[in-house]
Amino acid sequence: MKRTGGGVTSSVVVLDNGAGYCKAGMAGQSEPTAVVPNCMARPRSAKKWLIADQLLECDDIQSIAIKRPIDRGYMISPEIEREIWDRVFKVHLKVNPTECGLMLVEPLFTLSSIQKATDELVFEDFGFQSFCISNSAVSAHAYQAQKAPTSILARGRTSLVVDSGFSFTHTVPVFQNKAVTTAAKRINLGGKALTNYLKELVSYRAWNVMDETYTMEDVKEKLCFVSLDIERDLNIARVKGKSNALRREYVLPDGVKHKRGFVKELEPLSDDKVVNVSDEDDDDDHHMDEDQGEEGRRHRVQRKQAPPQIKQEDQQEITLTNERFLVPEMLFHPADLGMNEAGLAECIVRAINACEPELHALLYQSVLLTGGNTLLPGFKNRLEHELRPLVTDDFNINIEIVDCPILAAWKGASLMAARPEFHTWAVTKAEYEEDGTLRCRQRFQK
Amino acid sequence: MEDHGEGGAARRASGRVRKIAPKVGAALQDTNMRAQAAAARLEALEKDTIVYEAIDIDDDDEASMDEDERPTQKKAPKSSKRKTRQARALEQVASTKKAPRSFLDLLQEANLESLPPNAPSYLRAAVGPPSVGARRHFCSVCGYLAPYTCPRCGARFCCSRCQTLHTDTRCQKFLA
Repeated sequence: MKRTGGGVTSSVVVLDNGAGYCKAGMAGQSEPTAVVPNCMARPRSAKKWLIADQLLECDDIQSIAIKRPIDRGYMISPEIEREIWDRVFKVHLKVNPTECGLMLVEPLFTLSSIQKATDELVFEDFGFQSFCISNSAVSAHAYQAQKAPTSILARGRTSLVVDSGFSFTHTVPVFQNKAVTTAAKRINLGGKALTNYLKELVSYRAWNVMDETYTMEDVKEKLCFVSLDIERDLNIARVKGKSNALRREYVLPDGVKHKRGFVKELEPLSDDKVVNVSDEDDDDDHHMDEDQGEEGRRHRVQRKQAPPQIKQEDQQEITLTNERFLVPEMLFHPADLGMNEAGLAECIVRAINACEPELHALLYQSVLLTGGNTLLPGFKNRLEHELRPLVTDDFNINIEIVDCPILAAWKGASLMAARPEFHTWAVTKAEYEEDGTLRCRQRFQK
Repeated sequence: MEDHGEGGAARRASGRVRKIAPKVGAALQDTNMRAQAAAARLEALEKDTIVYEAIDIDDDDEASMDEDERPTQKKAPKSSKRKTRQARALEQVASTKKAPRSFLDLLQEANLESLPPNAPSYLRAAVGPPSVGARRHFCSVCGYLAPYTCPRCGARFCCSRCQTLHTDTRCQKFLA
């Protein structure tokens, strides 16, 4: 307090330590200086671990091994995290932590043992002068409120933040600019689970890509979308051959010609552009004829596919059809995967019902989506479709996606850290040394 | 197995049971197997790429193996080695304390059940089971809607072609 209160207030580092990406910058900036993968990676051929952004420049990404400091959203390995932060502070931000304060975005319900480890990392390893905790819901809310000051969300200082991140999905009511933790709900599904699910499907149906987490993440980001009518899309995706409107091909990196995988350009379709769904259904109904029908159809397909097969170069491709939307589907129906958890729409309803009834109308009017998964095309529309039947029509539903779902929490935290109140929120190093972890954390609760 | 089948042709009714591999029989009896397999699959969804890393313990094991294989070694260096091994074991205990534990271990350690029921906590924030809507089933082979269940392992498939593929490749008889 004495040091920071004296007017020599130093700059504040803002860190959104997500499980997928670590976003870092200085308070007051509108964009983070560094957005780096929050992991260490080692190519098969190397012995040295690449830290964070070095992964982005690495050419040898085949079967790359990845270790993360964060498990299920919470930082369990301060050792790995220390190396990543060290690089971020030294190389990207070029700051000396001992001269700065720190604003950290931490997930809700962090266990006290993890909080303690974080505090030790911040004060003892890096020696920050002051330290303040925020959470992604409040930060994203703050960012949106600042961006649209006249919206209901900003005027009511209330919103329901849906944060679908890498490890899990939280729905958190925010009231008076504070998170209502008693009503927050969580689905244990996030981007990582979706990537792994896609990996599992592709490994069974095409190439074994169980070791290619990094590549499959790219496939997911580029090709997955949220279906609005799953039965219709399943039928479309069932069509064999090139006339399948949902079929996309992704070329895997071979390490020689292509360092990164990419989505293959669609070839111009011939006359059979029409998706013949009814024909497929017929085949389905006559299971007795299945073998014959299948045989015949396979011949047809082979004949159709013959020319491109000859043209095919030595590149490994994966063809995705219904995987493209079945994977994100899990967020809306985790039960399909065998998880005993409600889907996203129901999760929102439960979070809102756990709040005071007076707030319900306001919360439904300002549902705010953030987190990387909300970038999947169709996410918002699907959520509207799912949520509407669950809510009485007394309530208007208004769902909005923040304009930069991955960075919103960081930007909000940056705004908050730039406010003059920051120093009243933050705990200084002296206070930490005096009171220890527990007392400091009690302050953040307020 | 085939010999058994031919020998037991006269009592086919009982021979039928024997045709099932013992592991499969056990799998069929144990209804928990399916639940376990499903749980393992969900667990796998949270995994990172497996990291193959040389751990210090390996060195120690090798050292002990050497000793077992060559018992004719002199005793004096052996005892000195003992000491170092003890020291190393102590170091290991110290290092395992620091080594990252999984989040679930930490969660168990935190003992959140002991909190008062109205206090917000990680456990209480879980969304809970769905209220409505039966589970939809997708074909484990091709992903289409799947009306049929594999009698052996409970996986789903949509048509006979997918069934053949399933039994040939992924049916739980190979996992059990």
